[in-house]
Amino acid sequence: MTWKDLRLRLRALLFQRRVEDELDEELRFHIEMETRKNVQRGMPPAEAGRKVGVDFGGFPQVKEACREMRGLRLIETTLQDLRYAFSGFRRTPGFALTVIGTIALGLGLNTTLFTIFNAYVLQPLSVNDPYRLYQFTWANRAQEGHRFSWGEFRDFERQNPAFSEVVAFNRVSFARVEGHLMLGQMVTGNYFEMLGVTAMRGRTLLPADATVPGSAPVAVLSFDAWTNKFGSDPNILEKQIPIRGHNLQIVGVAQAGFRGLSEVPLDYWVPVTLAPLLEQDTSLFGPRQPERLTLVGRLRPDLTPRQAQTTLTAWAQRHTESLPDAAHATHAILRSRATVVPLEPAVVAAAVPVFVAFGMVLLIACANVANMMLARAMARQREIGIRLAMGAGRARLIRQLLTESVALAVPAAVAGFAISSESIRWGQWLVFNTMPASFREFLTMMPLQPDARVFCFMLAAAVLSAVLFGIAPAIQATRSSVMQAARGEFTTDFRPARLRSALVVLQVSVSVLLLICATVLIRINQRMQQLEVGLQPRGVVVMDLQERFRERVMQHLSAAAGIQQIAAAGKVPFEGYLPRVPVVAGEDSGQVPAGYLYASPEYFEVFQLPILRGRNFTRDEALSGAAVAIVSQATAQRLWPGRDAVGRELRILPNPQQRRSLADPRAGPPAFASAQVIGVARDAVNGWVGEGPDSTCVYFPTAPTRAGNALFVRVRGDAAAAVRRLDAMFTAATPGAVDQLHTMEDVLGAQIYPFRAMYWISAALGGLALLLTISGIYGVLSYVVTQRTKEIGIRVALGARPGAVAALVLRQSMRFAFAGAIIGGTAAIGLLRLVASQVDMKLLGSLDWLAVGTGMALVSASSAAAAWLPSRRAAGIEPVSTLRCD
Amino acid sequence: MALRSRLDLLQGTLDLLILRALQTEPMHGWAISERIQQISQDVLQVNQGSLYPALHRLEHQGWIDAEWGVSELGRRARFYKLNKAGRKQLELETNQWARLSAAIGRVLDLA
Repeated sequence: MTWKDLRLRLRALLFQRRVEDELDEELRFHIEMETRKNVQRGMPPAEAGRKVGVDFGGFPQVKEACREMRGLRLIETTLQDLRYAFSGFRRTPGFALTVIGTIALGLGLNTTLFTIFNAYVLQPLSVNDPYRLYQFTWANRAQEGHRFSWGEFRDFERQNPAFSEVVAFNRVSFARVEGHLMLGQMVTGNYFEMLGVTAMRGRTLLPADATVPGSAPVAVLSFDAWTNKFGSDPNILEKQIPIRGHNLQIVGVAQAGFRGLSEVPLDYWVPVTLAPLLEQDTSLFGPRQPERLTLVGRLRPDLTPRQAQTTLTAWAQRHTESLPDAAHATHAILRSRATVVPLEPAVVAAAVPVFVAFGMVLLIACANVANMMLARAMARQREIGIRLAMGAGRARLIRQLLTESVALAVPAAVAGFAISSESIRWGQWLVFNTMPASFREFLTMMPLQPDARVFCFMLAAAVLSAVLFGIAPAIQATRSSVMQAARGEFTTDFRPARLRSALVVLQVSVSVLLLICATVLIRINQRMQQLEVGLQPRGVVVMDLQERFRERVMQHLSAAAGIQQIAAAGKVPFEGYLPRVPVVAGEDSGQVPAGYLYASPEYFEVFQLPILRGRNFTRDEALSGAAVAIVSQATAQRLWPGRDAVGRELRILPNPQQRRSLADPRAGPPAFASAQVIGVARDAVNGWVGEGPDSTCVYFPTAPTRAGNALFVRVRGDAAAAVRRLDAMFTAATPGAVDQLHTMEDVLGAQIYPFRAMYWISAALGGLALLLTISGIYGVLSYVVTQRTKEIGIRVALGARPGAVAALVLRQSMRFAFAGAIIGGTAAIGLLRLVASQVDMKLLGSLDWLAVGTGMALVSASSAAAAWLPSRRAAGIEPVSTLRCD
Repeated sequence: MALRSRLDLLQGTLDLLILRALQTEPMHGWAISERIQQISQDVLQVNQGSLYPALHRLEHQGWIDAEWGVSELGRRARFYKLNKAGRKQLELETNQWARLSAAIGRVLDLA
């Protein structure tokens, strides 16, 4: 672009009026000269002028072509279109507001979802060069991943084939500090250095902090923990925090924004060398070398991830050569740790259905608006026809109509943004307030702030929806030909009916689909609520404690008021699966993998789980861990169908699948090879709630004094109050002794909660989709009635009864509903089949025809309801007045 | 007038002809179309609908300048004048045209 060009453009923009006049004068001069020439040649003046007009080829078109040359057309016409659009909106504010509101709702919902996705999957961690960070592990033949033992980590660090530096850290662990739940991690000394994270107060952990096991007990807090849990205490560096009953000196606060490399934001970090202190039972540095470290390294600058993968695969294979066959590494696994959740195919696969469900609501909103725009465009046919006749290009008109769409989408995006941030706030509040009370503090979320990516998403979604709801009406509306427009015929070639019907059917299908999914979830939720768990959770408190305090905790508990009974079990019911072991019932049958649970005799009393036949464990059996077993009813049925299980012998086979890291003495299968069945207990849910009552469960005896057991306490009165009382007592008497303290009702509630949340979200989406669909059907039908007023008038004049006329409209609505219900229903059935084939969950049940039927019926009924008013209006049409109009 | 007796202008040649017409003196649009028609002995007919867009385009490209003057009949008219950049462009395009027509001529002779 030359300087001159720019000057001319500016002049055209600033002195538009003058430039236009000049152009007009220039062309007029030409025509005058040409006419004069023709007259001089002897043509009659009228003929001469006509000929010039024909040669010239349309005065307005030439002017338009000259304007195009100015290169400002785009800006100029866009401004013009915008002015035009806004004056149109001022005339019909209801229309503009409805469109903006509808689209804003769809955009807001989707932005909320994207904000969450962004915070976890897209936002890079606030560490130095996050995109070079990779987690390394290897898979064996059974496709099991691997965690590292301390020795393995040291070996890898020494040989280190692919990283410039590696760090290791333990699983996230909980600690109760001053009534707060804190999440922390044990990390190697170079953790902060390698990540490039600095301290905003004091210092970070240094390699010197983690050289030998049993080093100085120090901890670094996260910025968020310091501000939220310690009130930004300026003297924090003089404080100690009691973690697992050990006082750790706080040496620093990490820089703001750093929350560790885990899915949950962390509150503190301690040197890995504190493991013997904090986890006395099976220490990381002990001879058993437990595999529990995760490795993250910074990729060497000269390697691509693919090269590193090759190198590491070779290393892992060499490293596992001497191990048994099953433990041989097949390949290395490198996962990016640039974001909280790595952007991997599996993550994308999980996110896609959710995005599709939310996207569908936006799609319905767009379809609704497209229909409204279509109706509006149709009302403007005369105007559009005239403009076409005046020489406006079709492309130009389409652009103008699209500009209108964008002019609606931009305010919708702004409103959607407000809706999104409100809904995030509201959603967090809602989740926080509907969670079972004692699990609230486990709810730690990444901060959900919109950033540049969210804005870009919003913008792209807004423009996309503008095109979605604008393009079809624009193309349809400009289809009338100049000839027809000139004759005043505006309807012959203008047939948006099919498009409109397609849009409505699409809406109906999508809301049927969403509603069916919501109904399925409601029913799962219902089954959950009514689930016969077999255990009485009311009045029971569960606690997890530090082994070395077990005796003291037991003493305090038996001395405390309001305690009725103390029981113990190897696992807390409702959460997590039961471990399994192959068993054989006597001599004549094959082996069955059976779930098992260590339970003290009081377990059956505390949870009011009746023993139907035989007897409970005795105290002696419990204390000695005798070779006796109680089986559940279902287990007895399965192993000894039709016979009495009591008194029979249950053989226990060594578990071939038992992995080294799981071979924990307290959770592992019993040491004895056979046990005598002494009782049959009623069926109950000792495993995960989602599985329903245990298909098999064998109870082996244990006692509250045995290591590794969780304690269950039946209290008098309100369990929640008892939890508070006990928490206060333990915090005062033995700080750090009790890790977790919950009512069993909360434990059950927390397990059911995700299903409830899922159901609420899908019900809200389905409801919203239904509302939009109803308003869409209503809009289309009232439009059709208005359009067919004359025809209906004639029908009435010819003797059609009002009922027949109303039926006409209702029939149209039902056609939409049925087509949509069939399409949506088919899609839902396909989807449910797909989910059922992927997810192994008993409560999902078989294909839920009731849910499918409910969804379809609900939408059909709504469609009929939406058609009610338009059909009444149609029935009330007066033939005399309608035939007179126009 | 028979259709074949006049040639439609090749895409892009109109610019060259306008520049050439303006080489001697500033002219208004109508005079330019007359001049081209005259010199080509009525073979080349400038489509008047494309003349003005072309003039505006050349002005934007900075090869011709426009100013309002008085026509031979005493009417106000917009006169176009070739400037320095325009002369260079004319030279360039003339050379290109000569090479092109020579090349086409050679091909036609041989073929």
